[in-house]
Amino acid sequence: MKITDACVVPYPAGDSSVRRLALEARSLGFDSIVALAAKAETVCGVEVIPGIYLAGLSAKDVQSRAKKCRGTGTVVSVQAGDNGFIRTVANTRGVHILRGIYAADKHAFDHVTAKIAADNNTAIDIDLAPIIFGRGHQRQKAIHRYLDVMVLERRFEFPLTISSSARSVLGMRAVREMTGLCSLFGMDETGVQAALDGVARVTAPEESAVTVI
Amino acid sequence: MAVRPPTLREKRRYVLARIDPEGVQVDPKDLYYAMYEAVVSLFGDPVTAAMQPSVIGIESGCALFRCRRGTERELMVALSTLGVCREVPVALRILAVSGTAESLRERIAAFQEKATAEQTPPDQSGESVTPAGPEYRFGEAPVEILSRHGHKVDVIEKGFKNTRRLYLTTEDLEILHATTIPDGI
Repeated sequence: MKITDACVVPYPAGDSSVRRLALEARSLGFDSIVALAAKAETVCGVEVIPGIYLAGLSAKDVQSRAKKCRGTGTVVSVQAGDNGFIRTVANTRGVHILRGIYAADKHAFDHVTAKIAADNNTAIDIDLAPIIFGRGHQRQKAIHRYLDVMVLERRFEFPLTISSSARSVLGMRAVREMTGLCSLFGMDETGVQAALDGVARVTAPEESAVTVI
Repeated sequence: MAVRPPTLREKRRYVLARIDPEGVQVDPKDLYYAMYEAVVSLFGDPVTAAMQPSVIGIESGCALFRCRRGTERELMVALSTLGVCREVPVALRILAVSGTAESLRERIAAFQEKATAEQTPPDQSGESVTPAGPEYRFGEAPVEILSRHGHKVDVIEKGFKNTRRLYLTTEDLEILHATTIPDGI
């Protein structure tokens, strides 16, 4: 099992270098991190997985960008939009993670989308940044969305990932702290462990349904 | 009210947390207000009243918190949502929970010893990391080292505006004018 923070944002968008984020991740109990616009490398035993975040694009653009990234080892994350967009993107081969569910429309992620995500092995990201740094309505909305996601996850068993979306080492949280934060919306320790392994699950090479012996 | 005998007193739990970034000065009173705001905004007044959170003190870059026994988990969750203390970005890394403050003070001493052992030994040439030492650069911008712990280096961009604290490693930095330093490369 690989413990992965599904999204960190290094310098220049953030204020910490990739190496520093990796060092901090090691001290916080992670095996790997997905760093946006970074190169694949291993720093002090922590694997840095390059990631790309597609936001504000049409479904067609997302499909073409995902196609370009196929086979490069890059984790492709897409910002969630309305219901139709999510259904299309979750069906797109090469898209690994759907992010920003907390900010999407209330009915954007429903049982149909959950089924599509489960069938296509597309993960839904639990972004902890609105819970850590949000206050009041923003945090309440995020917890409510994640409660909905948890209900659908128990039914359809689509992959989950957990990310801190940290732009600084100060925004990163330890595995134990993430477990505590996830307990706010009913995710138990086993669920957190599975979700932290979610990136490895969605990026694993597809196995053929039929094995030739 | 008279002081109760020890067996009738409420049981407490003490939480030890390291304050990141290293070297940042935090006033215990400001930390108390930040912690209190974090607990109240996450769990509301009834839980906060039951928890009775407080800041015992700040010693050697570590903060000591106190709460009622059974509520330490909630306190730790609330502390992980604390990101700013009087407009200074900070992060609290929970190190230990104990039934006595004294044992946590022993932990602080052990933590300090470990941190000292992990520190990079000073260069043989006697160069220090103070501004009098070599000038460093990260990318295109010259930077000044604020603190250094092992491979971790906190720097601040030099300049009159848009200066911010950056969190780097020793491998990220380049020495400016390295070829002109007599004992340099």
